[in-house]
Amino acid sequence: MTELFSILHDYWKLLLIGSYPRGPLGGLAMTLLLSALSLMLTFPLSVLLALARTSGRVSLVRLSAAWVAVIRGIPLVMLIFWVYFLVPLLIGRNISGFATMLCTLIIYESAYICEIIRAGIQALPQGQHEAGRALGLNYIQCHLRVILPQALFNTLPSMLNQFVSIIKETSLGYVINVQELTFAASQVNGQVLTFPFQIFFILAAGYFLVCYAFTRLAHLLERSIQRKRLGQGHEGPPVPLAASPADVPQV
Amino acid sequence: MSFDPVSLLQGQYGQLIFHGLSLTIELAFCAWLLAMVLAMFLAIIRLTDRPLLRRLVIAYVAYHRNVPTLVQLMVWYFGIPALVPEQTQIWMARYNSEFLLAMIALGMCQAAYFSEDIRAGLRALGPGQSEAARSLGLTYLGSMRHVILPQALRHAAPALVSNSILLFKNTSLAMAIGLAEITYAIREVESDSFRTFECYLIATALYLSCSLLLMAGSSWISRRYRIIGAGRI
Amino acid sequence: MIIFSNVQKWYGRYHALKYITAEVKKGEVVVLLGPSGSGKSTLIRTVNRLEEVQEGQILFDGFDVTSTARHQDVNELRSRVGFVFQQFNLFPHMSALDNVTLAPIHVKGLKRSHARELAMTLLERVGMRHKAGSFPGQLSGGQQQRVAIARALAMEPPAMLFDEPTSALDPEMVGEVLSVMRDLANDGMTMMCVTHEMNFAREVADSIWFMDGGEIVEKSTPEVFFSNPTHDRAQRFLADRSKR
Repeated sequence: MTELFSILHDYWKLLLIGSYPRGPLGGLAMTLLLSALSLMLTFPLSVLLALARTSGRVSLVRLSAAWVAVIRGIPLVMLIFWVYFLVPLLIGRNISGFATMLCTLIIYESAYICEIIRAGIQALPQGQHEAGRALGLNYIQCHLRVILPQALFNTLPSMLNQFVSIIKETSLGYVINVQELTFAASQVNGQVLTFPFQIFFILAAGYFLVCYAFTRLAHLLERSIQRKRLGQGHEGPPVPLAASPADVPQV
Repeated sequence: MSFDPVSLLQGQYGQLIFHGLSLTIELAFCAWLLAMVLAMFLAIIRLTDRPLLRRLVIAYVAYHRNVPTLVQLMVWYFGIPALVPEQTQIWMARYNSEFLLAMIALGMCQAAYFSEDIRAGLRALGPGQSEAARSLGLTYLGSMRHVILPQALRHAAPALVSNSILLFKNTSLAMAIGLAEITYAIREVESDSFRTFECYLIATALYLSCSLLLMAGSSWISRRYRIIGAGRI
Repeated sequence: MIIFSNVQKWYGRYHALKYITAEVKKGEVVVLLGPSGSGKSTLIRTVNRLEEVQEGQILFDGFDVTSTARHQDVNELRSRVGFVFQQFNLFPHMSALDNVTLAPIHVKGLKRSHARELAMTLLERVGMRHKAGSFPGQLSGGQQQRVAIARALAMEPPAMLFDEPTSALDPEMVGEVLSVMRDLANDGMTMMCVTHEMNFAREVADSIWFMDGGEIVEKSTPEVFFSNPTHDRAQRFLADRSKR
């Protein structure tokens, strides 16, 4: 038990921020940075995919459905290796582990976030779309001003849950030596050698605290959105705020 | 550069790949069994009146849902063996501990997700069914066996299938602890032959086809065991 | 047959049943009437321990319902009380026939062939023999409720309890269920029935128990109750009903 505290005392900096400022950023800070960047950058792609899925144009629907099906059919590890191999070929030079992981997460998450956005769009009452078109708005304006703002707001709790999934997925950066939290912990283990259980216990506890906090936040957000909508006399079936278990990836 | 994935499936490379495939399938199956049995236990414990037991189950589920599966694997493979007595460590190392520990880690992780799916299936039933069953004089176990569980499992089936496919994909994480499943095997072949594209293609094809098979199988099961006329009631 | 002695029930601080003392004799048909929230359903559900009482005693066919502690005995009690729910609660994953044979096979231990014979006879009696192989999802509400009655009858109970059996039905299906219940009454079955169907109460009941606020406010025969109720709450209740 005491080893736990001495390890924490000696290595907290490495676990939290890596070897910054004397080296690259790492540890938990890197994990969170990677996750946030992935979520932000996957967004545009996911919105496009979701629009393709709901467009009604058969070719678009089938294409986007195929994209989603393939990405969800292979393990994340496999995708990491594909990106690690293909991207340097495509752009002509090598890229860092961080960039590889970022690209992988953007592609992987696009399949899941597109489903969340799609559910959000389809859960809006048909009347919203009709009212927009009746006012003379074209497809783009209608979606930009009417549909998407509402759909995206309603899916905030789901997005937060997905963010938690992304945090867990960054742990796979370990496989290609990305300097995130899991890698940092394995480095510590490589130095200490004699207390592996304590080190990995700290690692698990670290992820647990961060993920659990965000999960509770998502839960609270969901309740306050429900209350807001009920207060406005919202009728009809409730918007599925949390993605169904089928849509939430686990890593 | 020639493109000839089929040649990779023969000879020494082929052996490695098929051994990897069989390990993957074995691991997925064993972990799945463990997860299902454990999940039923957890779901039933969750239904009891003892708050302490319920909280234990809630904590179990929270841990396994908030810690990455890879980290859970590492805790089991690197951390736990340090705690057990030396004799057990030697015994484990001799009997392919990677497989055993990966199976335990993946099984316990998925059990958390499966138990939540079963819980959701149970919740979908409503109190009327158990009241009707008890009113006929069926015991608690009898009503579970004949009335409640058959329906709950049918309601939970889509989520259970989707999580089962995830379990299958998660076997790839075992490569990080050195288990020679598909991903590990394909990396070996790739680093030896330098035919990266073909190797990755084979692995991707294997994973995709297994996922599709699982999905088709579950479609068949849900059609065969569907509740006729459901949706009207 | 069913005897209530000073039965009281609370939900937390809400006094749901107050000093219920009454008796249903063998072969008698008792209909419970009253406004919603008066405790009618609660009372009927205490007989097979779907609801617990805190004070008083309930006897069913000589069996002390309230004092049974062991799970085994509660199950035995329930197997002897026929209960029909407002929401039918048929088991959707089994055919009508299997719904009826489930309890006789697994609770009473009847052989499958014997149970099927019994079930077919009962389904014939409620007019559902031709739908024995159908699943609840394929049946209308009225058909489902008739199967539910057959299911309860399959255990050969000395008495049948009905908790608003027609309230969840479309109007055109109410009649078929009520006629089954009427036939049962004519065959001499002891029945306790919570319902809003006034005509049924008038024609079939031997006794009317009017409940309000958790008490049985008035007990009388249908003739007396419907023409000249003594209690003013009962009068108001009937006046409201006749306005519709």
